[in-house]
Amino acid sequence: MARGTGERLTLAAVLGAMGPGLLAALAGNDAGGIATYSSAGATYGYGTLWILPIMALLLIVVQETAARCGCVTGKGFASLIREKFGVRKSALAMAALLIANTAVTISEFAGLASGLALFGVPKTISVPLVALVIWLVSMSGSFRRIEKILLLVSCVFLTYVVAAFLVGPDWGAVAAATVTPRMVASPGYVSLLVATIGTTIAPWMIFLAQNNVVDKNVDESGIPLQRVDTVSGSIIACAIAWFIIVTTGSVLYPAGIEVSDAADAALALEPIVGPWSTVLFAAGLVAASFLAACVLPGVTSSAICEAFGWERGADRSWDEAPVYRGIITAVIMVSALLVILPGVDLFEIMMSAQVINGVLLPVLLVFLVFIASDRLIMGQYRNGRVWNVLTWATIVLITVLTVVMFVLQLLGF
Amino acid sequence: MNYLSEMLRLPVIDAAGEKLGVVNDLGIATGEVFPHVTSLAFQGPGKTPFMISWRKYVDHLDDTGVYLKAVSTDVRFSYLQPDEVLLARDILNKQIVDTQGMKVVRVNDIKLSATGAGQLRLLGAEVGARGLLRAIHPAFERTVMRLAKLTGRPLKEEIIAWSYMDLLERSTQTIKLSVSHKTLDELHPADIADIIEQLDPRLRGQVFAQLDTAQAAEAISELDDDELVAEMLEGMSDRDASSMLALMDPDDAAALIEELDYEKAEKLLRLMGVKEERAIRTLLGYAEDTAGRIMTQEFVALPATATVGDAIDAIRRLDEDFESVYYVYTLDPVGALTGVLSLRTLIVADRDARLSELSYRDVVWVAPDLDQEEVADEMTKYNLVAIPVCDEARHVLGIVTVDDALDVLAEEHEEDLQIAGMGSGESGAAGESMHALSWFAQRSYWVLVWAIASGVIAAVLTWMGVDGSSWFIYPMGVMPVVLITASRMTSFVRGFYLEYDEREDEGKPYLAFFLRCAGVGAVLALVVYLCGQLVLGAAFPEGSLEPVFVGGAWDVTAQTTAQVLTACFGAAAAVVFVCFLGAVGYLKLLFWRDEHDRNTSGIALNVSAVLIACVLYAVAATLGVFLVVA
Repeated sequence: MARGTGERLTLAAVLGAMGPGLLAALAGNDAGGIATYSSAGATYGYGTLWILPIMALLLIVVQETAARCGCVTGKGFASLIREKFGVRKSALAMAALLIANTAVTISEFAGLASGLALFGVPKTISVPLVALVIWLVSMSGSFRRIEKILLLVSCVFLTYVVAAFLVGPDWGAVAAATVTPRMVASPGYVSLLVATIGTTIAPWMIFLAQNNVVDKNVDESGIPLQRVDTVSGSIIACAIAWFIIVTTGSVLYPAGIEVSDAADAALALEPIVGPWSTVLFAAGLVAASFLAACVLPGVTSSAICEAFGWERGADRSWDEAPVYRGIITAVIMVSALLVILPGVDLFEIMMSAQVINGVLLPVLLVFLVFIASDRLIMGQYRNGRVWNVLTWATIVLITVLTVVMFVLQLLGF
Repeated sequence: MNYLSEMLRLPVIDAAGEKLGVVNDLGIATGEVFPHVTSLAFQGPGKTPFMISWRKYVDHLDDTGVYLKAVSTDVRFSYLQPDEVLLARDILNKQIVDTQGMKVVRVNDIKLSATGAGQLRLLGAEVGARGLLRAIHPAFERTVMRLAKLTGRPLKEEIIAWSYMDLLERSTQTIKLSVSHKTLDELHPADIADIIEQLDPRLRGQVFAQLDTAQAAEAISELDDDELVAEMLEGMSDRDASSMLALMDPDDAAALIEELDYEKAEKLLRLMGVKEERAIRTLLGYAEDTAGRIMTQEFVALPATATVGDAIDAIRRLDEDFESVYYVYTLDPVGALTGVLSLRTLIVADRDARLSELSYRDVVWVAPDLDQEEVADEMTKYNLVAIPVCDEARHVLGIVTVDDALDVLAEEHEEDLQIAGMGSGESGAAGESMHALSWFAQRSYWVLVWAIASGVIAAVLTWMGVDGSSWFIYPMGVMPVVLITASRMTSFVRGFYLEYDEREDEGKPYLAFFLRCAGVGAVLALVVYLCGQLVLGAAFPEGSLEPVFVGGAWDVTAQTTAQVLTACFGAAAAVVFVCFLGAVGYLKLLFWRDEHDRNTSGIALNVSAVLIACVLYAVAATLGVFLVVA
């Protein structure tokens, strides 16, 4: 364990620390992420690229804050909210988390269904079966055993990086689009921005980042290494997103293909793998969605039970932890049922879940920023001014975008 | 005004009717069973915090506010006393240990009671659902209460009295708590271990640090989770860890040291006293799972010529933390074991009687390299609470006491249960009457495998270009036979394994088992094949297999179908037979894992067998269908 005095940032320590963040970054590019980025690239070309560098910075701020809170207090985010803000406000925070995470779980199921549909399995068969498997896995808490395999499979999205180079876009235009902010006054564009923010800085990532630190019992002396981890993870997550948008923006946008289902999105990989693009894309989509769908109900339920003091953990039986198990079951059932409903547009679901995520994110960020700047809780490790300003800026940015989105929709653009 | 949640934010009004601020917190003196509220903290204008003495200034309180006896100018402010605890700051919303229910809980509300003349006492912390509902809104609580009563399951308050609370947070640890207060460190070490397991890693370390070394030593040897033990030892300073290990019984200490990496273990051993170090090293010298590992060197042995009085004096002189004495052993002049006396014999006998006259000579003893399970079996057989461990010359090396033997038995039982596929949950429910979930996971998951495999076969057949996708129903129809047979095969293996009595000099009975399985497999395969013939005979009676000339072409569907069915049943029979041929592999695996002291889950065994059979069958059947149809 990292202890006090003799600690130096050796290369080995830095490389070792980068592990969890990288994994989280890869896992973060789940069904909703792929759908959102593909759609952004296909519909607006390079028009949304400029948001990604900003996202990387904000993601670093949020993840670093969460990990730092974990290091200093040794408690989960849910515990901190409850102890600082009491029952009523934690009920609000937990409701936000529950809704956001259920939305994401629904989108993961939609991802699974559309990924398997590419293999020719209809969703009425795939969703109940997969839901059952996911339920069993998250009940027994054994997803860690399959985690690595799934992560490996979901690495196929790294092919977007290669694809981007093979497509050979106009790099000058790409670079220019990355640094010049651009707004289009249409609800579609604004909601895509909100969705991009929501899927990049998902509320559940805050909880997961802090839990990881708490479970490992890292103390204040571990903060520098945690920073290395969060920074590298965040940058890579956003870089992958950036490459996805570049690829889809170069392949699908000029061809005028609007991404309306997973098969369309898979077309973006055609230049590099040809006819295998569907298989590759579907495998990645299924693995990434499955991984996230196994993790999310557990994270949600664990946070809620932590806040309200109910027993939690996969090693507790139904009798000992009825609420914990009940919430997991309910989240999975609701998600599966919604996706199965005839006539729902799976791709639409993946996108709107990210919008919900984005809209609810400010609620949890407000809690995070108050906790992180509290002198009593954080002592000398409380937020500096820059961090506070950046977090508040994120909150304001998303809130403004949300309001704009709703107003545009109301005005009927 | 019974709850803290209702009191917070009430206005504080002085004798002149002027509002001074709103209630922020209440301070209690910790020295009583039901502590008095001693101070009132309130927030004045501009968020300035004030604190005044409750006893001196508060006149009465009701729903509308807290009324003071004096006017604002006469009120003198006070400070928090060292023995005072602030309810909202230190207890509300925090995690506490319920030292009666042995649980870690979160405080949702705090219940107070008015005791005449405006005085308040703390009754306890509300940790149940009602506290949560009330904190969200009192009306919400009332509605839910009414609904609950209608459904016939009224919500009860869950109150933990102050005397059964232990605070965990570091801000309050410095506060000296009352005498009447039952704290964590007064609990039985096994209970402390249970509570520690429920905490987050950080709190775990803090709570552990509160215990004194002797308690920590006992608590840590009660922890069930080996990883947790290693983690706790890593977290302590080497000196503390070492002195804690030295305090433990050497056999427990040896078991813990084993969990650590070599360097750390060596460091800790070297920091100990010479005596303890030697005792632990001796034990570590014996192989794992042998009598030598769990024996203690703390026993009473005297020359056979000594008197009863000598023996009793010897016992009186023992240290306080000496292992419990159940028997006194007698030795001949060269130190070999000659007899044993129970404590009862000693107490009843004359002080002058010689031990050799009273002792029971036919002593049961075991060698240090005997397997622990067999030691436990010996103790059960002869009804002993301790059994001596001797070398070839009958020199007593140590004794194995009943507590360690019980641990061995419990562990063994758990392993067996796990292999039998029961899991080892705390609920301890044996047999089949479990939750639907675990029942499904253990017994009926094959339905899932069936469904998924059928889908895969269908997909593969389509991909291979077999016309008409309906062909997959034939392999699908036969598949359950294979899956269930594979599943039962593993239960056959583990039944054999659990029943098998290991004898020292014999090899493992692999060949006999293999032959037996091959026999069973052949019979089953034959039955499956014959069933296939039965189905064929019934579905396609004599003559129906001739090609029919329909619409200008020969229709051979019936013929092909019959061939597909034959292929499927043939594949099933073959796979069943192969499965049983492979059974001996599972037996070998079980024995191997047992020798290397690894636990094996019966469910994992079962699942792997079913999956292997499923894959074999799917490949065989798919190929069969493909060859016939194409």
